[in-house]
Amino acid sequence: MKHKHYLFILVFIGIAVTLSACAGGVTTATSWPGLTVDDQYAYVAYNTQVYAVDLINGSERWRYPAEPDNKITFYADPSLSQDGQLIVGGYDYALYSLNAETGTQNWVFSDAENRYIASSLIQEENIFAPAADENLYSLDLNGRLQWTFSSEGESWAQPIIDDNCKCLFLPTMDHTVYAIDPQNGTQKWRSPKLGGAIVGTPAYNKDGVLYVGTFGGKLFALKAEDGSIIWEFSTADDGWIWSGPTLSNGVAYFGDLDGYFYAVDADNGSQIWQLPPEQLDGEIVGSPLVIEDSIYITTEAGILFKLDTAGRIQWSQTIGGKIYTSPKAANDLILVTPIQIDELLVAVNQDGVRQWSFIPAE
Amino acid sequence: MDIGAIWSTIILNPMINSLMWIYSGLAQNFGLAIIVFTILVRLITYPLTASQIKSTKSMQEMQKSKKWQDIQKKHKGDREKLAKEQMDLYKEMGVSPFGSCLPTVIQFPVIIGLYQAIIRALAVTPIQLLELTRHIYPFYNAAALIPLNNYFLWLDLSLPEKDYGIAIAGFTIPILAVLVMATTFLQSRLMTPPSTTGDQGANMGRMMNLYMPLFMGYLAYSFPSGLALYFVTSNLVGILQYGIMGKLDWRNLLPERFSSGSKTSK
Repeated sequence: MKHKHYLFILVFIGIAVTLSACAGGVTTATSWPGLTVDDQYAYVAYNTQVYAVDLINGSERWRYPAEPDNKITFYADPSLSQDGQLIVGGYDYALYSLNAETGTQNWVFSDAENRYIASSLIQEENIFAPAADENLYSLDLNGRLQWTFSSEGESWAQPIIDDNCKCLFLPTMDHTVYAIDPQNGTQKWRSPKLGGAIVGTPAYNKDGVLYVGTFGGKLFALKAEDGSIIWEFSTADDGWIWSGPTLSNGVAYFGDLDGYFYAVDADNGSQIWQLPPEQLDGEIVGSPLVIEDSIYITTEAGILFKLDTAGRIQWSQTIGGKIYTSPKAANDLILVTPIQIDELLVAVNQDGVRQWSFIPAE
Repeated sequence: MDIGAIWSTIILNPMINSLMWIYSGLAQNFGLAIIVFTILVRLITYPLTASQIKSTKSMQEMQKSKKWQDIQKKHKGDREKLAKEQMDLYKEMGVSPFGSCLPTVIQFPVIIGLYQAIIRALAVTPIQLLELTRHIYPFYNAAALIPLNNYFLWLDLSLPEKDYGIAIAGFTIPILAVLVMATTFLQSRLMTPPSTTGDQGANMGRMMNLYMPLFMGYLAYSFPSGLALYFVTSNLVGILQYGIMGKLDWRNLLPERFSSGSKTSK
């Protein structure tokens, strides 16, 4: 009888462990890497560590924390301040300030009650950190709370700021964009419901127009002064737009989860051209990178494409794994962060030739 | 098509979309959606439940028969012979030895599927949300529903109760886990068929009654509360179903010394 008790306990423990495995442990990646660059280093936040990688040869400069802690994970794009801080939000509800040179910890802000999925915005002496607890926290550079703005939805996207009107635009998953006074956190306006969650950072032009992609399969142009809709553009099959568009020379470039890629006239919302999924092979999650007349986009199939502004594919480079993060430019390099392969960061030149890759040492 | 794709097509996708469809019609309340969905699942799997009860009853009756008792005595020291004779008796009396557990086994994928559906529908991280988009059917406007409202009563359905529950001196009071344990205990006690003291099935049943509520309580405390809400609802609906079938025996709630000897199933 006693043995049967033990057997029962063992069976139950076995089932509990199996279910825990199905649910995914804390070290299972729950997002894709965050990536930020300056002129010397790329900073990659992924899973249990943040890495500083030398842009010359892809060698590791430092990592934080030195030993991984399964309870602390990072996925948001880190943000750099002018005084040399690297601000990165964690899934442990904490916002970390690291010394960008050395990777040592400056301070930790722990008031949030949910994850930091979005990247923080740093503007002069202020840090604007949206958390998934539906709050936007404004801190000074020493990590002291200045004000808190509560919205009605989680924010997974970095806010943007307009210096002219002193407006901070916060996209949220409650299908709206908020305009907030960055001085005191009061709401200036709230856009109408846009038909779907907004998880990408909007693009903003100096003419006072905000471009917002939504899960409702629409790109909206909003008036920055009051949030009213100027025009809207629908994707081919109502494909959900994950990341915000990139503006260049009056054109908004963006992709959708059905794998279409669009160039839309920023003035009136008319389509200039589109590339169908057959040509790009996979969902497009990240925003495109536009450098002069070249457009770089990544797809879930792990491929980096270079297009010209007429929508012609110049080259494609298979990186491997899956790519959801937007490509970033650093000096003459294009950086991408695949997942599900050993390489965490891959650098190619502007002809698509691989220059180096970074594989974190165990 | 790999096994994952088959699983998604047959089990996971219908469950996720049903949950979201119900959610859209229930004032966008995911707690109510889980409750309604659980009731529907219990109704759909009712034939399996009924078949399980019938098989268990047949098994119990067979084990009470003189023939069965004689076989136990006759081959007490010879396990091999005993097993063979028992199998012969199963055949003779038309009872399947797996008849009572097969329906439970068949329901297991439903429970796993529902668990996955709740976790995926609530999608609290980018990978989960991206994954959810691949399971959504195109015939309704899912974009208008996302993100799902994961609050119900005092519960955050996407998080384990230990992460947000009411804490006193650093210890989170596991209200939901206690509810799961209580209803699991009630269900297992009320639905335990009458048994003869000392038989193997009864011993197994007693151990299940002891460990199952603790195990379910552990799951409720450690896994997202949406799953715990499913457990509570499923247990209560199960008790109700048994009650409607006239199979509940309230005397099972009494300690055995008070209830033994006079048990009769309704």
